[in-house]
Amino acid sequence: MELFFHYLSQPYLLTGIVYTVLITLFGLAGGAVLGIVLAGMQLSRFRALSVAARIYAVIFRGTPLILQMIFCYNALPMIGIKLTALEAASLALALNEAPFIAEIIRGNIVAVDRGQIAAGQALGMTPFVTMVRIVVPQAFRTMIPALGNEAVSALKNSSLASVVSVQELTLRSTQLASATFDFFSIFFASGLMYLVLAGSIAGLQIAVEIMMDLDHPDPKARFARLLPWYRTPVALPDANEGTEKAQETAATLPPAGAKATVPLDRAKRAQAIAVSRPAVEIENLTKSYNGRPVLDGLDLTVRLGEVVALLGPSGSGKSTLLRCINRLEPWDSGAIRVIGRQLGVGDNGRVLSPAAIANARAAVGVGMVFQNFNLFGHLTARENIAGPLRWVQNATAREADTRADELLERVGLSHRADALPRHMSGGQQQRVAIARALAPNPAVLLLDEPTSALDPELVNEVLEVIRRLAVEDGLTMVISTHQISFARDVADRAVFLADGAIVEQGPADHVLTRPDNPRTRQFLQIMKEDPVLAG
Amino acid sequence: MKTTGFKRSLPLARSAAGAVFAANMVAAAFTGATLTGATVAQAETAIPAACADLQAKYPSLKGKTLVNAINPHTPGYESIDPNDPTKYIGFDIDLGEAIGDCLGFDLTYKAVTFAALLTTLQAGQADIVISDIYATVDRAKAADFITYLKVFDGVLVAKGNPKGIDGINTSMCGAVAAENTGYVEVPLIQALAAECEKIGKPAPEIQLYDNNANCIQAILSGRADTYINDVNTVDGAVKAYPDKLEKATAVTLPYSVGIAVPRDNVEFRDAVMAALTEIQKSGLQVELMKKWNLPEDQLETPKLVLAE
Repeated sequence: MELFFHYLSQPYLLTGIVYTVLITLFGLAGGAVLGIVLAGMQLSRFRALSVAARIYAVIFRGTPLILQMIFCYNALPMIGIKLTALEAASLALALNEAPFIAEIIRGNIVAVDRGQIAAGQALGMTPFVTMVRIVVPQAFRTMIPALGNEAVSALKNSSLASVVSVQELTLRSTQLASATFDFFSIFFASGLMYLVLAGSIAGLQIAVEIMMDLDHPDPKARFARLLPWYRTPVALPDANEGTEKAQETAATLPPAGAKATVPLDRAKRAQAIAVSRPAVEIENLTKSYNGRPVLDGLDLTVRLGEVVALLGPSGSGKSTLLRCINRLEPWDSGAIRVIGRQLGVGDNGRVLSPAAIANARAAVGVGMVFQNFNLFGHLTARENIAGPLRWVQNATAREADTRADELLERVGLSHRADALPRHMSGGQQQRVAIARALAPNPAVLLLDEPTSALDPELVNEVLEVIRRLAVEDGLTMVISTHQISFARDVADRAVFLADGAIVEQGPADHVLTRPDNPRTRQFLQIMKEDPVLAG
Repeated sequence: MKTTGFKRSLPLARSAAGAVFAANMVAAAFTGATLTGATVAQAETAIPAACADLQAKYPSLKGKTLVNAINPHTPGYESIDPNDPTKYIGFDIDLGEAIGDCLGFDLTYKAVTFAALLTTLQAGQADIVISDIYATVDRAKAADFITYLKVFDGVLVAKGNPKGIDGINTSMCGAVAAENTGYVEVPLIQALAAECEKIGKPAPEIQLYDNNANCIQAILSGRADTYINDVNTVDGAVKAYPDKLEKATAVTLPYSVGIAVPRDNVEFRDAVMAALTEIQKSGLQVELMKKWNLPEDQLETPKLVLAE
C-alpha cells in the first residue's frame, strides 16, 4: 500500500499523464476536424466525394491503431516525412478517430427531422444556413454522449503510443515495473490515474449535456442534476393546461376584424380576382417517381388574392404539386412561374444551385405550411419566427422580435412565445408554423393539409386562423385539404385532382355541392360518410 | 559525462505538477526535448587517450547528439533508474556513453519494444542500437552489428524447477516457454518440436511478450514454465524473487551481443568499432562490466556481423 502511494505521487508517472493527455487532445482535435470534413464529404451531393470518404473509412476503421501508429512513425520517414514520436502518435490517433467521429456526426445529422430541413428550405434558407442554424445545433446535442464515449476511448487508445516510444503513462509504468519489479503497485497507480482522467471526461460530458439541455433553463436545477440521486421530474400535466386547451380555440385568438365577421360577398370577390394578375402559373407539369406518373400534364393558374382548395384522394398529387410550386422538388417537364418568375431556373435556362434556388424562393416570397408543422425543435415559438427573418431577410434582432410578437398575437399565442414546440399542442404548433410562414410577407402561401395531423378538437383553431388570413388579408393561398366544409367556406375555387391531373374545377360552392364529374361526386360521398377514411 | 540538452527537462520532471510545469511540458514536447525522455547517469571513467585521434579522424560526429534506441526492460543492461526514473542506467548505457565520449557525440534515448529496435533504426528514428541485442545473420539484414559480449543464457524456472527443465533440449517437451517477440531463443525452442515428436512427446509451447518483465510475470503467475534469456537478466530476476524463482542452468548460445548501426553508413560503423576497440584496450569495458556484475569472460573482441 505504501508503494502504491509512492508511485501514485511519483513525478515520473505524473509527467507521463501530460503526454497521455496531449496525445488524446491532439488526436481528438485532429479527429474532429477530419471527421467533420469526412462527414461533409459523405453527405455531399457529389458522388466522388462520398465514395472517397467511404474508402478512407474502410481503411482507417478497418486497420488496428497500433499498425497506424507504427506506420506514421516508421513508414512515413521513407517518403521524407519524419515526425517526432508525439506527432506521429497524435497523427495516427487523429486519422483513426476521424472515421468514427465522422459516423457520429453523420448519423446525428441524418437523424434530424427531414421536415425541419424542408421547412428551412421553404423559408428561403440556403443549405448552409439550414445546416448551421437548424441541423447542427440539434445534431450536436444528440451526439454528445457518443462523443463522450469516443473521448474516453481515445484516452485509452493513447496508451498504444508506447509502441512508438512516446513517454506516456503506460510506457512509463512498464519501464518502471521492469526496473523495480513492483508490478502491481505501479499498475494499480497508473490504472487509478487513467480512471481519474476518464472520470474528468465523464464530468465534462455531464456539464455539456446540462448546458445544452433545453428543458432545464433553470440554473438551480443544473446543479441539482449533477447529484447521482437526482431524477428528472416527470412533466406533470400543468393544472391549467387542460382548461387552457379547451378555452384556447376561441378565447385566445384576438377578436375578429369587421371583415371576418360578415359573410363573404362571393360575387364581388370573384369579380376582383378575375381582373387581378396571375400569382402562380403552371403549364403542362409532369413528374414521375420511379416511372409512375404523379403529375400528368397539369395546367393551373392562381390569381393574386385567390384562395384555391386542392381536393382529391391520397396519392392524387396534391402535396407533390404544392412542393413543386415551391421548388422543394424537381419535375420532369413543364414550367411553373410564381409572380412571373421561374423558380430554380436562371435567366439562361440553366438549373440553379440549391443556394441560388433558396435565394430566389426568398426573393419571390412563397410561404409554406406543412402537414406536420415542422417547427424547429430547438427554438422557442418566437425564435421559430424571428430566426429565419434574421438569417434570410437580414432583419435586425429587434425588428425580427417585434414582427414575431406581432404575428404570435395574431394567432393567439403571445403567452406561448417562449415555449418549445414539443411543449405545445399540435394546434398551437401549426398556428406558430403559419405565423412563421407569414413573417416575410409572402406573395403566395401554400398549405399542405394543414389540419390532417391534428386531433379533431384542435382543427378549428387552425382553420379559423387560415380563414381570417383569406378574408382579412386577401392573401393568395393554395390549400390542399380534406375539410370540405372549410373549403366551401373559405376557398374561391375548388380544384379536384385525381391521378396527377385536374378532373374538375370551378367555384368552390358549386364544385363541392353539385359536382359534375362522377369521380368528384364519389369522393365527396365518401368524405361525407367517413371523413377519416379519405384523410 | 555531462549531458547537454536536458538541463531543462530534468528539474521539470522532478517538480510537482503545476500550471507552469504543464505549460513547459507542452512546449518541451513540441520541441522534442523530452520526447527521448530520460537521460543517463554519468560514465565516470576517463576517456582513452587514443580517442583524440579518432575524433580527428571522424570530425563529423563531434558535437552531435545521436539517438540510441533501447528496450529498457533489462535491469543490468538497460532500465530506468528506480531512484530517478528520468535516467536510464545499465552496462549498455554506460558503454554507449563511453563510445560517445570517445568520438565526441552525445546520446539521447528512445524507448521502444524489443521487436521495434531495428525497425526504429531502419526508419531513421534512431542512429544506433545498444540494447543487449544478439547479432545474428538474419538480423544483419536490417542493420550492421559490431559485437562486444559473448552470450550466456540462463534458464529461469519456478522455485524447485517442477518441470525439471535443464536446457534447450527435450526436457522442454510439453513445457510452456515465455519469450519476447523477436528473441533468438524463439526459433531454437521451436526447433525442438521435431525432437520431441521423435520421442513421442508434445512440442514446447511458446508465449510471446514484449519485455522481460512480462516474461518474468508469466512464470510468477504460473502461465509459463520457463524463460530463457541472458544469464544476467535471469540472475536479476532470481535476486528480485528469491522465494519464487530459480535459475535451472546456464547454456551457451552460438551468438554475440552486438551494437546495431545503419547499413548504409560505413564511416559511422568504422568509427564505432574503432572506439569500442580502444575502450576494450584501455580496460574500460572490463571496468564497466565489473560495475554491473557481468562475468569478465563474457567480453568479446569486436567483430562485424553483416548480412550474407
